[in-house]
Amino acid sequence: MRAIIIVGLVIICFLVSYLLPLKEAVSDDTKSCLRCHGISTLKKTTEKGDSISLFVDGKKFEKSVHGAMDCSSCHPNITMKNHPIPKKIYSKMDYTKESSPNCLNCHPKDTLMKNKAHGELVKSGQIYCSQCHGSHYIGSIKDWKNKVSFNEYCMSCHKFDLSKTLPSKEKVSLMVNEEEIKKSVHGKFQCIVCHDDFSKVKHPIYNFKDKRQYRAEMTRICTKCHTDEMLRKNPAHYALTKTASCIECHGAHGVKSAKVVKALPENQYCLSCHSRPLTMKMQNGESLSVQVKENEILNSAHKKLKCTECHKEFSPTQHPVRNFASINDYRAKAKDICNNCHQDAVKKYDISIHAEAYKKGNPQSPECIKCHDYHKVTYISKDKQAGSELCISCHTESGKAFKGSVHQQAVLQGKQNAPNCVSCHNSHDVLPTNIAKLEDSCIKCHKDSKVTHSKWLWNPPIRLTSFVDIHFKSASCASCHTNTDKAVFLTLVEKSKGKPIKEEDIAKYLNVDVKEVRNKIDQNKDGKVQQEELWQFMNLMKDRAKATLSGRIDVLNANDAHKIESKDKAIKDCAFCHNPNSSFKAKIEINKEGAKPVKLETDGKVLNSAYAIPNISDFYVLSLTKIKVLDILFILALLGGIAVPIGHITLRILTAPIRRKRREGK
Amino acid sequence: MKKIYLHPLPVRIWHWINALGFIILILTGAQIRFVDSMGLMSFETAVQIHSWLGFILLINYFIWLLYYVLSGKLFRIYIPPFWRPVEFIKKSIKQAKYYGYGILIGDKNPHHPSPENKFNPMQQISYLMIMGVLIPLQIITGLILWDPQLFSSLSSLIGGIQIASLIHTVLWIFFSAFIIVHFYLATLGHTPMAHIKAMFTGYEEEHEEH
Repeated sequence: MRAIIIVGLVIICFLVSYLLPLKEAVSDDTKSCLRCHGISTLKKTTEKGDSISLFVDGKKFEKSVHGAMDCSSCHPNITMKNHPIPKKIYSKMDYTKESSPNCLNCHPKDTLMKNKAHGELVKSGQIYCSQCHGSHYIGSIKDWKNKVSFNEYCMSCHKFDLSKTLPSKEKVSLMVNEEEIKKSVHGKFQCIVCHDDFSKVKHPIYNFKDKRQYRAEMTRICTKCHTDEMLRKNPAHYALTKTASCIECHGAHGVKSAKVVKALPENQYCLSCHSRPLTMKMQNGESLSVQVKENEILNSAHKKLKCTECHKEFSPTQHPVRNFASINDYRAKAKDICNNCHQDAVKKYDISIHAEAYKKGNPQSPECIKCHDYHKVTYISKDKQAGSELCISCHTESGKAFKGSVHQQAVLQGKQNAPNCVSCHNSHDVLPTNIAKLEDSCIKCHKDSKVTHSKWLWNPPIRLTSFVDIHFKSASCASCHTNTDKAVFLTLVEKSKGKPIKEEDIAKYLNVDVKEVRNKIDQNKDGKVQQEELWQFMNLMKDRAKATLSGRIDVLNANDAHKIESKDKAIKDCAFCHNPNSSFKAKIEINKEGAKPVKLETDGKVLNSAYAIPNISDFYVLSLTKIKVLDILFILALLGGIAVPIGHITLRILTAPIRRKRREGK
Repeated sequence: MKKIYLHPLPVRIWHWINALGFIILILTGAQIRFVDSMGLMSFETAVQIHSWLGFILLINYFIWLLYYVLSGKLFRIYIPPFWRPVEFIKKSIKQAKYYGYGILIGDKNPHHPSPENKFNPMQQISYLMIMGVLIPLQIITGLILWDPQLFSSLSSLIGGIQIASLIHTVLWIFFSAFIIVHFYLATLGHTPMAHIKAMFTGYEEEHEEH
């Protein structure tokens, strides 16, 4: 049926064609084609559903550059014998793609490559000949060039989704949205106003390494009109132009007036630049991102704040140019911003070990931003585990130690009173553990612990909490509540106030360098402080600083203090500590300014030496710190006590005859 | 044979409580100190007994003090005649000579006890030191070690807990030796059991001299 219809159509076309007036200029071959293709309604529907017109306007074709050519010149596969053939075409674009290579029959690739820009297009195969040049009514390029405006000329290609892949593998879109230009402040400009190295006959090819270079080069275009001199009027903007390219903020073609931006709500005004990946150069060459992600602000605790509430020196009219030595320097100054509202927290932070270490230039040490981030600033989380994670991200070993503890279990069980890091160490006023009075943190939650301990930790006949107190004072909670190695820590303190003497102060007292202090104690440098060494050191310090050693029992490895076990596993055996044979190590602990204390390995014998009496006058643990020389004295006294009667009895036995004689003599 | 009522009942009660207490305190003290090498009892038990007894002897001491103060005998019995020093020293030397020599050759004890003059000069000076200085010192240092927190001011007064411990230990050593000698001297009556019996009955027997 389909074949009959097609044959019928062909016959009708032939008959009708004789009635159509055709110019002589068109060849016979063309004439015969136009018999059918001259019918304006002739069309074909593709598989995809779009419609292709098969109509060719004979008159217009005649005027085209190909007007004198046969149809078969471009459609070599079609002859009157095989046409029409039922041909399946998927889509219009497919047909364009399929028919374009026919152009190459007369216009070989070499010729098309002569113009470099055109050559790039042909090589890339992104667009097909007929997309730009049309199909049947191709005019003279020369005429067209003369006739069209610059914009029309450029847009004839750049309206397409062209792109270029740079050696850095970054892709630059070459497509230009004409509408965007029209709405921009440059709406009335012809392309060549900016791209003045281009013209209808010139199309240079740029070879940018990467997008950064591309943006930098494009910025040069802007500075032709917007000169340095003009830009200098706004110093902040001028400074920005040195770090960011114009198009990063203003866009390439849709350039908007700065006045429009100023009318925006304040945060939007700032974000119009700062939402982009801007960076700031530090004096030491470090580069800091000053990009602000709007969604981070909107999800932060500061979502209701305006940018200028924190960044007080900035406003839509003021953008001072600041210079920072380094990112560290920048971060340190950021604290002042937080201090505008959070004075309490900053005050507490300032006395912390974190602040001390930060001041000393430890890059690991946190200030506000390291924990709270720049703009993410989250609400204080009720999720205790999440709270701990922040600390653990630096204090990994402590995190590991805490994992098995009874406290961590409570956190995981979601118990409301379960402690995380800040419960004991505080969030801002984090102090070195040897002066942080962490025992107070334990008692903060375990309020009745003194009474509970006094149920078994008491000395007859009266149950007193002061007896518990002295144990709490001399041994850390972790000493009994963790199953870990223990040590006696001897800290050098001022005798009157009990205040620890810092390493720096010792150096001053002894008139030596801080690094030499260790050698002043461990004089033979064998890595262990012997009793004689301690005696000599203490003699020096006692004269100059009225120093003494205070003592306490604690876990040997500070991290072990996190491994608190359940109550039933706590040490309740008094002889664990009250034993001269306990396995406790001894350490001399010397405080340091803003850092963890120095711990010196010490011979445990110092505790049992007679030297301990004047030097460790306030640390006494029954049995553990007994002075051993007194044991010898005890044995000697016992022997002496026994020797007196034995000697006397012996003498009495030996002298018995004398007594007998005297009695008898009477 | 003359019988002298030398030891009134309160003194005898005080003495025997003290004697038993001292021995147990010395032993538990040793157990506490030698926890690693002595196995009489656990450390906890030793501490508990030591503390209980410490307080019992503390009260006992005050019973003794009260008795002697109220009976007015404290001065007469315990205080040597410091107003007659030469005579006292002579008597002391005589007494020492007796124990070191006289007793061996069968001399008589130069001292004849009476309720008003119970102690020979050597006993007098020893017991004054013990009852007047050493036991109070042992009680005070014992209290400091019993609860260092509660008695911290007392502790700092004597120069710290290490000093307190030192005093307590040195006195423990002294008392350990003393109690042996004391026990031996107690057997040096006219019969070995004479003084010991007297401490139970109150009556000291003395051979009348002819």
